[in-house]
Amino acid sequence: MPGAAVTVTHASRAYGETVVLDDVSFTVAPGEMVALTGPSGSGKTTLLQLIGSLDRPSTGRIVVDDVSVGELSHPAEFRRATVGFVFQLHYLLASLSAQDNVELPLVAAHVPRRERAARALHLLEGVGLAGRARARPSELSGGERQRVAIARALAGNPRLILADEPTGSLDSAASQKVWELLSDVSTIAGATVIVASHDLTLAEHAGRALHLLDGRLVAPPEREPHPSEGLA
Amino acid sequence: MTTLGQTLASLVGRPGRTLLTALGTALGIATIVALLAVVGGVRHSAGNLVNLGPSELGLFQADAADPTTSILSTNLIAKLEHTPGIASASPLILLIGDLPKAPGSIVFGAPPGDFLTGGLVFSSGRAYTSGEEIVLGDTLARELHAAPGQTLTLAHRHLRVVGIYHNGIGYQDAGACLPLATAQAISGRQGEATSIVVRLAAATRPAAARHAIAKDFPGLTVISDADQATRAGVSGQLISQFGLVIVVLALVIGGIGVANTMLMAVIERRSEFALLSAVGFSGPQIAGRVLVESILTTIIGAAIGLLLGVIGAQLLVDALGAKSFVAPQVTAWDLGRGLLVGVLLGVLGGLYPAWRAAHVSPARVLAQQ
Repeated sequence: MPGAAVTVTHASRAYGETVVLDDVSFTVAPGEMVALTGPSGSGKTTLLQLIGSLDRPSTGRIVVDDVSVGELSHPAEFRRATVGFVFQLHYLLASLSAQDNVELPLVAAHVPRRERAARALHLLEGVGLAGRARARPSELSGGERQRVAIARALAGNPRLILADEPTGSLDSAASQKVWELLSDVSTIAGATVIVASHDLTLAEHAGRALHLLDGRLVAPPEREPHPSEGLA
Repeated sequence: MTTLGQTLASLVGRPGRTLLTALGTALGIATIVALLAVVGGVRHSAGNLVNLGPSELGLFQADAADPTTSILSTNLIAKLEHTPGIASASPLILLIGDLPKAPGSIVFGAPPGDFLTGGLVFSSGRAYTSGEEIVLGDTLARELHAAPGQTLTLAHRHLRVVGIYHNGIGYQDAGACLPLATAQAISGRQGEATSIVVRLAAATRPAAARHAIAKDFPGLTVISDADQATRAGVSGQLISQFGLVIVVLALVIGGIGVANTMLMAVIERRSEFALLSAVGFSGPQIAGRVLVESILTTIIGAAIGLLLGVIGAQLLVDALGAKSFVAPQVTAWDLGRGLLVGVLLGVLGGLYPAWRAAHVSPARVLAQQ
């Protein structure tokens, strides 16, 4: 299934007098992987929430394929069919096993039990956790939990993956693994991936970077070379 | 895992909260079941105060607070015996609390040799014939260690025990019988009776006789079987209504308790519901999960409550000192009602929390984290 095309046109979001996102416009092609960078409070999370129909823009329009997500009367159905979320905090349900957590979007979609289980196990195998299906979140490392969260995001075969600081609480090795998985989702599965991160170096994993500052899209700052890059 | 399994896992994952919520429900259900059982027992006991045969009717004073407080003139006997369809009529007096060593026992005063006492089966001794004699039910005799030939003091009168009977009715076997005149003297109600029992003539239909008596004697309440006994007293009706009020109160208080606990759980788990919304659960789906969780919790509570209620009913009767004449009656319908109340508590208590869970804003909650 091809990825979703995302078109953001003059989107703004304000909470009372506070403008969090100000007249943002851009497009993302189907199957593209885009990094959304910017410091904390620059509006990355808000923008992802607007694209994913968790919130509605105050003004402007956001279209995912042909759907204007700000005007949906049943946004949950849209999310179930089109979007997979990965959050900085994995948000795995503590009372459920890794497999049951991965199955959640399929439960929402009324997928039969056996089909759910097969799909969840396949996805856990894909993120390198085949042997941890029955483990509870408390029995998993931070990196493993985030990989379970990625498997959960992929469970419903979404055409759009929205990842908000997915490596924010991980060490470098675990972060590398997560970025590889998200890249695979884009290149192998063909899904559109938008990843928000305040870390400019990680944005290099993506094909393109959009930089937010104080709620507005701006040109990405010049990146200072890492000390290791100067060494022969 | 099934959706129900996930809900159960959620309950098991929070054992303290689940147990406390279930326990709150259990106490409410236990109260309901215990009261229903006691009320049922009281009604049954009231119905058997006068052990009526198939062709007998019991007459009480209309609007008496309780069957035992009914007062009828014995002059009615002659008038009743002239009523078509009535073969005979016999006065009966009930004395309660006059036996110092067994204050819960009921003492029946009836004329010697009439059809009311004529049916008693004696395991030892004989029926009373004179004013200073008394016969005891075998339960009371065991309790008092009494036997024929001994003397029993009743309201400062010394009566000779002449027989021990058994007829299988709990409060009668835990009571005693003596001559009507003696009972009237003890109670200071000469010329009066608590009730008059009439025996119908052959081929007389009880319904027709009831109708005729009610027409000719408008000041009387006529009962023909145990189920109608509560009609004989306002107290019986009050007890029934009191039971209903307690059930409703338990439902309201229990519902508020469950709602409060479930609401706290929803507030505590806002991020969980936000996540469910983010992965595609609709509002009704999330509300359904909370509602099922609430109902499952209260069903667990109801199961515990039914058990506690059955035990509590007996304890309640013991605590009230009424075990000799009230046997709690727990019917399948009482248990069914207890379970139904449990489910209702789950639904009523879970509705608002479910609505709140369905309206958690994923954007706001997930951003706050």
